[in-house]
Amino acid sequence: MLINFDNAATTFPKPENVKKAALYAVERFGGNAGRGGHELSMRTSEALYSARETVAEFFGAEPENTVFTLNCTYALNMAIQGIMNGGGHMIISSIEHNSVARPAAKLAADKKISLSIAKVYPENQKTVESFRKLIRDDTKAVVCTIAGNVTGQILPCREIADLCRKNNICFIADGSQACGIMDIKLSDGINILCTAGHKGLYGITGTGLLISDGKFRINPIIQGGTGSSSESLVQPDILPEGLESGTVNITGAMTVKAGIEFIRKTGIENIFSHEEKICKRFINELKKDGRIKIYRDVRAEYVPIVSFNLNGIPPEKTASKLAEYGYCLRAGKHCAALAHLHLGTENGTVRFSPSVFSREENAVKLAYLIKNL
Amino acid sequence: MNNCLAEMPSYTYAVKAAKLLQSRGINCKIVRSEKKCGYSIEIHGRCRDSADILNKYSVPFNMPNEPLLRG
Repeated sequence: MLINFDNAATTFPKPENVKKAALYAVERFGGNAGRGGHELSMRTSEALYSARETVAEFFGAEPENTVFTLNCTYALNMAIQGIMNGGGHMIISSIEHNSVARPAAKLAADKKISLSIAKVYPENQKTVESFRKLIRDDTKAVVCTIAGNVTGQILPCREIADLCRKNNICFIADGSQACGIMDIKLSDGINILCTAGHKGLYGITGTGLLISDGKFRINPIIQGGTGSSSESLVQPDILPEGLESGTVNITGAMTVKAGIEFIRKTGIENIFSHEEKICKRFINELKKDGRIKIYRDVRAEYVPIVSFNLNGIPPEKTASKLAEYGYCLRAGKHCAALAHLHLGTENGTVRFSPSVFSREENAVKLAYLIKNL
Repeated sequence: MNNCLAEMPSYTYAVKAAKLLQSRGINCKIVRSEKKCGYSIEIHGRCRDSADILNKYSVPFNMPNEPLLRG
């Protein structure tokens, strides 16, 4: 039997209503949304709009500013490249995922933008200060994860957003590890929220979201069919279709809608406290073994993710040993080169990440196994 | 009663507009545009009110001055 503690990569299993939504979408929404006037297309279009409404309401946005993407990486690339199109200065944090760090580094290497990296500290005030010090007259965007994907550290996004608002800077937030676990709203000061649909929102893989407050124009990086203004060779400058060239993953969108309905029914606070309780128990068990290093600092706050290493054992080896017993944990750099530079973990870490379906007794059994490696 | 057609820039805005109008008691429906690739709202009466509502909520649309349809 597989026991999944790699939910930060993608949640599994999915809620029952998500599975049903996928099947229902395949059976009923077989048209191409926004592409025709016949019943199949109109029915599919209505379904997609209802998914937009659900997502928009959940994040305090408008349906027309809610864009479905392939995943969070696509959403972040669209936001970063779309906002930094005309050049300027951009700031990212020192614990960003490669989905932020790589497009930012590429733009900087091509001399299209200048890039600064703000050091993250366990203390929120110090982190905010490091962003503040880097702001320049030409700073156009700040891109920051709400919670890091390696250790789960929660960044002071509201304070960083406030800095951005005061300086008329576009604040792009990566909500991959936070959405569905923390109550995130655009009213927190986020101009563009990018997130995965298949992680804490419990949709299927191949889903992501870009949610804008409409204040900053996002230049599309992909052009193509949008279902409207087909007579023009110019990409329509209107959301969401302007950023949704090509056929939208309607089945995926319907599962994201169902996932959000599941989260609402379960209660976001209940999900967080359930997962956090499992993490605390797991940490307490690991702490009994002096060989185990846990990457948490008492001064910082975390989403339910635990990164650790066993002294002298490479993380990949630890994870592969655990996999022999059916435990699914991710090891290595977690697509986050900057975060590991920040942590000083040159071989990476082993990451434990529960979901709402995880059970405490399995975390205890896992900790026992780790201590006996 | 005058009917009119509001051309919408996308299906998403067509639904948004239809919902806004219907919630205010205005009879309307989404139709596929005949002249251009896209969607329109067929509004049954209260065309001026409809235009004011859509403008108030910053919903982009194009409504020719002359009613396209007459009931």
